[in-house]
Amino acid sequence: MTILPPDMDEARFAAFLRELGAAVGADWVWSGEKDMFPYRDSFSPVWNTEEERHASAAVAPANVEQVSEVVRIARRHRVPLFPISTGKNFGYGGPSPNVTGSVVLDLKRMNRVLELNEERAYALLEPGVSYFDLYRAIQERGLRLMVDCPDPGWGSPVGNSLERGVGYTMPYFRDHFGAHCGMEVVLPDGEVMRTGMGAMPGADTWQEYPYGFGPDPSGLFAQGNFGVVTKMGFRLMPLPEHYQTGLITVPKRRDFVKLVEHVNYLNDSGLIGEVEYGSPLSVLMGDGDFAALATKTGGPSDTAMDAAASAAGLHSWQVELQFFGPEAATRANWNYAKDRILSAIPGAEAKAGDDFPLPASEAELENVTQPYPTRIKRHRSLGVPSLVEWKIVRDDGHIGFFPVLPRTGEAVFEVQRVLGDAMKEFPSLPPFFNALTTPLMWHTHTFQMVFAPSIKHDDPAHNAISHEAMKKCVAVAAEHGWGDYRASPIYQDDVSATYGFNDHILRRFHEQLKDAIDPDGIIAPGRGGVWPRRFRT
Amino acid sequence: MISRREMLQWGMVAPALASVSQIAFAGELPALGTGLLDAILLDDRLSPAAGWSALPAGVTTLHFAGDVTQIWYETIDPAWRHRGYVLGGITAASTLFVLETLAHQQGRRVVSHVPLNATPRKPDHSVRWIIAPHHRSVMP
Repeated sequence: MTILPPDMDEARFAAFLRELGAAVGADWVWSGEKDMFPYRDSFSPVWNTEEERHASAAVAPANVEQVSEVVRIARRHRVPLFPISTGKNFGYGGPSPNVTGSVVLDLKRMNRVLELNEERAYALLEPGVSYFDLYRAIQERGLRLMVDCPDPGWGSPVGNSLERGVGYTMPYFRDHFGAHCGMEVVLPDGEVMRTGMGAMPGADTWQEYPYGFGPDPSGLFAQGNFGVVTKMGFRLMPLPEHYQTGLITVPKRRDFVKLVEHVNYLNDSGLIGEVEYGSPLSVLMGDGDFAALATKTGGPSDTAMDAAASAAGLHSWQVELQFFGPEAATRANWNYAKDRILSAIPGAEAKAGDDFPLPASEAELENVTQPYPTRIKRHRSLGVPSLVEWKIVRDDGHIGFFPVLPRTGEAVFEVQRVLGDAMKEFPSLPPFFNALTTPLMWHTHTFQMVFAPSIKHDDPAHNAISHEAMKKCVAVAAEHGWGDYRASPIYQDDVSATYGFNDHILRRFHEQLKDAIDPDGIIAPGRGGVWPRRFRT
Repeated sequence: MISRREMLQWGMVAPALASVSQIAFAGELPALGTGLLDAILLDDRLSPAAGWSALPAGVTTLHFAGDVTQIWYETIDPAWRHRGYVLGGITAASTLFVLETLAHQQGRRVVSHVPLNATPRKPDHSVRWIIAPHHRSVMP
């Protein structure tokens, strides 16, 4: 069956495709079921159901001039476009659009590293550049610059940052959108705009001062649909001289509150990189009695958890710390962190981990010599893109809900209890929220938790459970002020609706902008929950 | 580890790939000039006890052990940025998923996929596969 853009018949669609082919070359237009398989969301929980979103075609321009022309053609025909960079946004919709029938605007041919500046520590990239491409360019030129990459590293710095994706090194660089500096955008009328100092002809500071003058619209293009980003600048971390690791454990359940306070201080003072929280008690989850305690409705008591920990001879919580910088500084910072926490929490223990100069060797990247069990994935922590993380994916993929919560131990306990109880409605899913669930600190100074039920292509009943659980989790979390930070197109309206302050004034503001800037609703209608007038009910 | 029987099955199939008119996958492979595999990717963790000796001579073999990142980064990705290049493999299913995803971006697709274990649904079962150019932008 032919998928068509909204309000278009086959004859006009064929004419539209011919115009696209004339603009970019016939080899760079995809259409028809046989060719469109790369543009399906292979992680979709509604795979092979009527709810699944399908693109009608794809077009891959080679440069910004062709992007402008494609946008103008789409505007003339009123065909929605869905821009993608490398299309690896798995768990969040991948390459598939919000509106069935949209044409994917695949920016993969725009894959040049336009500039790498070691002395001033920045890069200017096209959207088709992957983290692997950026890393290769740095290595080939022998530059001492570090990449902050997600895992796997096959995504695009432009695409990932526009999704507000995150990384694993120092705080400033983990916020990928926050670390951007300057962008070039093709607007819905085909005009090319540059933000920040890029708006001043002749300025050589486009990648050094992000704001320029007047209102800064760059945020509209992150999780937004106000234009097509064709260039983006990024601040890069100079490759540190040394890397130091360490582990701190605390004995009692309630010690987690103080532990978080001190780790927050270290993070906010710029002394540590990404941290990995965990619980030594995880090894007990194979024991039925302990698992029942950890997943108890209403949450277990501190007394019961402390008793279980004591009986097992284990501490309740741990945190792995990472330090980057000159060797003397990393040692001093580790000693400071250790002394600060151990003096504040009775019974806390510390153990120094591996330390070595950077860049790391292949053996050091494998992280097999730590004197304690470690959750750190060294490739990503040290800015080396890898594909190996894919092994954690179960079944045929997963969907993702990462609620944002206050950066306190008390908030973590509350999320464990509230969402743990809410998800008991779906007993076939693993207990993502239990008494041992720890927060992520991937963003600069934000806690998030993880809910990522799997999907299976050959089990629609299982997918339906994951789908329903996701919607319930989003709703319950929002009741407590824990909002999602990023969502797949099929959940973007649900998530957008939870940001409803003052009768959804934020969404209404976005809609006003959308109607003014993109009156024909060409660029990714529905993305971020923002619908143009023609698609609003 | 795959069995010797499974290895022999690959050994019987691979020479047949030398001729498009004979191959079992003639219906799946696109119309190539020669129909030859350009390379076979092998996860050495799956090597039969006798090694990969049943493979036909003259076919380039690429080896890795678990993590496909380096071989993809150094060899497969550069090859996929040009036209042509038919790659076969015996790997874990997770490796195939990674390569398949990367192949899609380069106009290629999996044209043959044969599970090699008795219980394919178990985590990371072994598979034998072929990835070949599909879209006209990368056909030789």
